[in-house]
Amino acid sequence: MLTVEQNEELTSVGPSTPMGELLRRYWYPIAFEEDFDSMPTKTVRLLGENWTLFKTPIGGRYGIVAEHCPHRRASLTYGVVHEDGIRCGYHGWKFAFDGRCVEQPAESDNQNFRDRVQQKAGKAQTMAGMVWVYVGPDPAPELPRFDVFVMDGVKDCGYTTLPCNWLQIMENSVDPHHVEWLHGHYFEFLGQTHGFDAPKAFQKKHMKTGFEEMEWGILKRRVLEGSTEENDDWKIGHPLVFPYFMRVGGAGINQMQIRVPIDDTHTWTLFFSTHSPKGAEPSNQDRPVFYEYQWKDEQGRFITDYIEGQDTMAWVSQGAIIDRSQEHLGRSDAGVAMLRKMFKENMKKVADGEDPIGTVREPHERIDLPCEKDKFGAEREFANAWITGGSMRYSPIKQELLDLHENAWAARESAGTNA
Amino acid sequence: MSPEQRKADLAALPPDPHRLPVKGSWFGPDAERHLLDRPKFCPMCAVDLNQSGGISTEYWAADLRVFMTWCGGCGWFGEIVRFDMVTITEEEH
Repeated sequence: MLTVEQNEELTSVGPSTPMGELLRRYWYPIAFEEDFDSMPTKTVRLLGENWTLFKTPIGGRYGIVAEHCPHRRASLTYGVVHEDGIRCGYHGWKFAFDGRCVEQPAESDNQNFRDRVQQKAGKAQTMAGMVWVYVGPDPAPELPRFDVFVMDGVKDCGYTTLPCNWLQIMENSVDPHHVEWLHGHYFEFLGQTHGFDAPKAFQKKHMKTGFEEMEWGILKRRVLEGSTEENDDWKIGHPLVFPYFMRVGGAGINQMQIRVPIDDTHTWTLFFSTHSPKGAEPSNQDRPVFYEYQWKDEQGRFITDYIEGQDTMAWVSQGAIIDRSQEHLGRSDAGVAMLRKMFKENMKKVADGEDPIGTVREPHERIDLPCEKDKFGAEREFANAWITGGSMRYSPIKQELLDLHENAWAARESAGTNA
Repeated sequence: MSPEQRKADLAALPPDPHRLPVKGSWFGPDAERHLLDRPKFCPMCAVDLNQSGGISTEYWAADLRVFMTWCGGCGWFGEIVRFDMVTITEEEH
């Protein structure tokens, strides 16, 4: 339970709010490279502000500026893209990548005016088929090249926009017990009611959970019934990567769950997976496959017969912003309390002029995150359940993914390396 | 709790009425107790937890009310527990 003020502080992501200032210290994926195949500009919304993201026609360089022209507020998304910036379509004001106004055609005799206008601007670059942006103060940190985005393998990403605050999704990432209930027993109940076989791997009882602060966020561990501390789920665990990722994996699937705060009541959620089971053929993909996954049926009810649909039901049904002054946490929610502390701690760091946790200043090739490989002690069954019982069931390459894992399993069997 | 005690407790709540739990709401009394009982000062350095940017999240464990608390002043991080009766669970021996 929190006070109303604390809840507001933790969930307000706009400019000049403590959380908004903290979140502006990180890079976010905000569009796909393929969005720019036919159009050079796109309006995107991030941290409560609208932006125009653009790509230059020859050099292919990406830029991001506040959407509305500071002249008379027309949208720059309907502007003219040049190699050195973007020009408003309304009166031709031109802005450099850093937001400096460099031309005002109708004001050509008044250079001083031009110099006094600065459009808000950020930085943009690509990784893993996505366009990533940074809209915080200079100097911008390095874009962290987390393993899932840069490792070899078949890449697949389901996404959607959810009408809820991003923090309640992140709190779910430090709530291990929900797995055995929401994805275990509730799934089983649905299966019995609707006549399908729910996956059994998620039903195992949690015997012990652990939360440990680490370099990138919070490392989450668990011991499930029938397992010990020697199993990967405890010995390695997997991290919540502060402030908006969760790294999960196992059975040859490496996944980054991404929750981009669009504004206080909307979150762009992405499940980005790299499939690289041992024994699989190398990938020859040009780009990751992106697709929208479904979470409401024709009657407007939540679709809850798959993992991410169940999570979505929980996140969205909590309300646009959870009223945390009315919640009742228990001991099993200690991870949630710990995450809130981490946010407060890093808001203070930013207010004190320090870099928050996870700020990368050194150029690098790849950042490997700890993540269990043997998931719930059910390798083959787990990969199949994840693909058919998760958002990947909406993937246009679902069958290819199933074949990839099955063929890799068969290859390991014949090589005798499946032990 | 006596009506007098409750009146005295409520007088200690923050002055802004918008910050108070919604009157008559189902869990209003819990939110009210949270406002009254959450730690105000760091047990280590005694700084005001609000002013230092700290946070105290309440959770319940049986009859215990546990406040996981972080002080923005000295960085103390731990739990402060309210209880009505000390109970001890005997380990196997």
